[in-house]
Amino acid sequence: MSYTLRGRIESRLAAFVPVVVAACVIAAGEHRWWPVDAAGLMLGVGLALDVQAYHRVLRYQPGWAALPLGALELAVVLLLMRAAGVAAPLGQAVALFAGGWLLSQLLAHAGFPLLRLTYAEDGGELGRLGGTAAVAAAAVLAGAGATAYALRPPVVHLASGVHQGPIVITRREVLVGDPGAVVRGGIVVRASGVTVKNVSVVGGDYGISVEHVHGTVLDGVSVSGARLDGIHVRLAGVVVRDCSVDMLGNELGQGIDISYTMDMGRTLVEGCTVTGGMDGITTHSSMTDIVHNQVSRTTERGISVTEMSMGMVMDNEVRDASGIGIWCNDRSMCMIERNTVVDTRPGKDGPGFGVLASFQSEANLWENELGANPVASGAVTQSEVSRARSFSYR
Amino acid sequence: MRVAIVGSGLAGFTAYQTLRRELAPEEIAVFGADDDPAAAFRRRAAAIRQRQMRSESDGHCLPTSFPGLALSSTVRRRSVRPLLGTLCDCFHPTVDEFLAHVERLRDRSGWERSFRRARIERIRAVDGGFELDGHGRFRHVLVAPGHPGLNVPDELRSDPRAVHSYEEHDYAPTVTVVGAGLAAATEWLNALAAGSEVVSVRRREPVRRPLNVPREYFSRRGLDGFHRLGPGERSARLRALLAPSYPPGRAWDEPLATAMMEDRYRVDPSVNGSAQVICATGFVHGYAHDALLAGLAAAHDLDTVDGWIVVDPDGSVPALTDETRTLALAGVAAQWAFPAADTLAGARYLAHGFLGRIRSCRTP
Repeated sequence: MSYTLRGRIESRLAAFVPVVVAACVIAAGEHRWWPVDAAGLMLGVGLALDVQAYHRVLRYQPGWAALPLGALELAVVLLLMRAAGVAAPLGQAVALFAGGWLLSQLLAHAGFPLLRLTYAEDGGELGRLGGTAAVAAAAVLAGAGATAYALRPPVVHLASGVHQGPIVITRREVLVGDPGAVVRGGIVVRASGVTVKNVSVVGGDYGISVEHVHGTVLDGVSVSGARLDGIHVRLAGVVVRDCSVDMLGNELGQGIDISYTMDMGRTLVEGCTVTGGMDGITTHSSMTDIVHNQVSRTTERGISVTEMSMGMVMDNEVRDASGIGIWCNDRSMCMIERNTVVDTRPGKDGPGFGVLASFQSEANLWENELGANPVASGAVTQSEVSRARSFSYR
Repeated sequence: MRVAIVGSGLAGFTAYQTLRRELAPEEIAVFGADDDPAAAFRRRAAAIRQRQMRSESDGHCLPTSFPGLALSSTVRRRSVRPLLGTLCDCFHPTVDEFLAHVERLRDRSGWERSFRRARIERIRAVDGGFELDGHGRFRHVLVAPGHPGLNVPDELRSDPRAVHSYEEHDYAPTVTVVGAGLAAATEWLNALAAGSEVVSVRRREPVRRPLNVPREYFSRRGLDGFHRLGPGERSARLRALLAPSYPPGRAWDEPLATAMMEDRYRVDPSVNGSAQVICATGFVHGYAHDALLAGLAAAHDLDTVDGWIVVDPDGSVPALTDETRTLALAGVAAQWAFPAADTLAGARYLAHGFLGRIRSCRTP
């Protein structure tokens, strides 16, 4: 079909209305905003490509072109979702896009021509239906945006200075620390949808404890002097980003411990600096991505993925661990890519492995720098280390 | 009776299918010489032994582009190949499939109840409508007279070897084919397949394009610019767009290349001593060759440019159309509105325009 610009836009908007309605229904069902965010991005990307590319390049668009154009739009939407921090399950996001794409094809080839006699010769223009669709799409998106705005969690500012903890957060909120804000004695998160940002925590059994909740974001926090774990996560969904955990002098504590979160979906530790402790970052029975972190001077493992955990360990720097730099243990599946592990010392866990897979675990290694360790990598007790690039959505 | 269609060929038939969405058969009168809307097409397709349509899935007589012939072909053949073919614009229904489609529509649309065997010689504008040769007064009239006649070059009119491609013929051992369009290309292959030696005589190299005109001229994308052109520019554009063409593809090229290597096919500048000369030169151009249109233009002093009657983008004649009545053209006569007016898609476009005029008419 030879679309006019107006025809492209009207056809896209009309086909988008059922998609955004479906996205709102899914969002209401899941109590999460990603479907609406994704739908909004789908529309934005589609309209931008319509105006900037498709209309100029394609004077005529054959039917087959819908496939590569759809794939292009999907790729751009996924990239933008990642860049914008839209935390969407990949499979569901792709399914939403694919459903919308399929519907748009059915409408363009069958539905719209039946609805409007002159659809094909008008270059995809829909007349009053097009205007109505534009208003409907805008209304639904505006309604969703207004709802999101109205439901924003309250922002609580923690003034600079020392605050005696523990602070227990029992409602959905954003706790933002002003420069110099310090909590002594720990923070306990007891509600879902909590964000803690730019807060320093000193002391406490756990620096920050998150249990039995979902949608927690720890962004730019720093923890020091915790007696057990710096950041302690149990049965919770969490994103930890740009944190700093100082466990120096604590031989048995753990910097970040994320355990038993398999049912909460994928969790993330990204951009953190962990110093000291027994394990720098450890996961148990979790599906966690550990990326772009710096871990050093631990008394045992730098990073450990254990107890049937799954996840990616990528682009991390592990220095001066004792025994093992990165450990994939106890029937876990680990994709270990582009990490640098150096100066691992002999310890009670071994002679100084850069990477060790043990007890029926599978570790896939790709482009890691492991040379500066007594043993670069190893596999023991029915475990496997393979070297091939894994599929990664990153 | 509100509406009349003058002409019972495929353009009139397609318009009838569109009108039937909103009008009963008793509200429409179709005037023509033959009650078979595909009669002329069938005769011409048989003459050039055409087996496949140049048009694609939407080359049909229904009022909407969907469902196309690919869908019905998929159901009938129990194969998804026709539908997949539409994705790459490489599905072309067979002539038999198309004729069966016309027959089905004819049976179920009430065509016979509307058809009147009569040749309309004159259309006269009267108050609130048009008088058709004593057959009554109609508010809205669509004139779809078809091509005015076969075009035979002057120098070949009296040549006993000459036959027009759209007339029944066989192939002599040596054949000259004059022309460069789809009919000419079809005749090259036909004659070669019959064992003849073939000479192609043409004034210009053929244009290779899938459809009669570039695809954007089938939608507003190309038509808006076309409609904005002044008379001289539009006439020149039409001549360029309507230059003889046939589709690209190996099915055309390989037999010609093989025959050329065997010295059985060549291009010559003029007609030579072949035993047979086939004039694949299409139809004569211009409303003046059609007595009805010529009379209409003269009687109502209609605007014309280079053989085309000037019509609005929807095919209506401005001087004879207002809020109470419509006189519109369809088929080849409406190329001023739609360059590919003599195709099925063109017939549908003009039918939509005509129905739009009827809808907007304030009088009952």
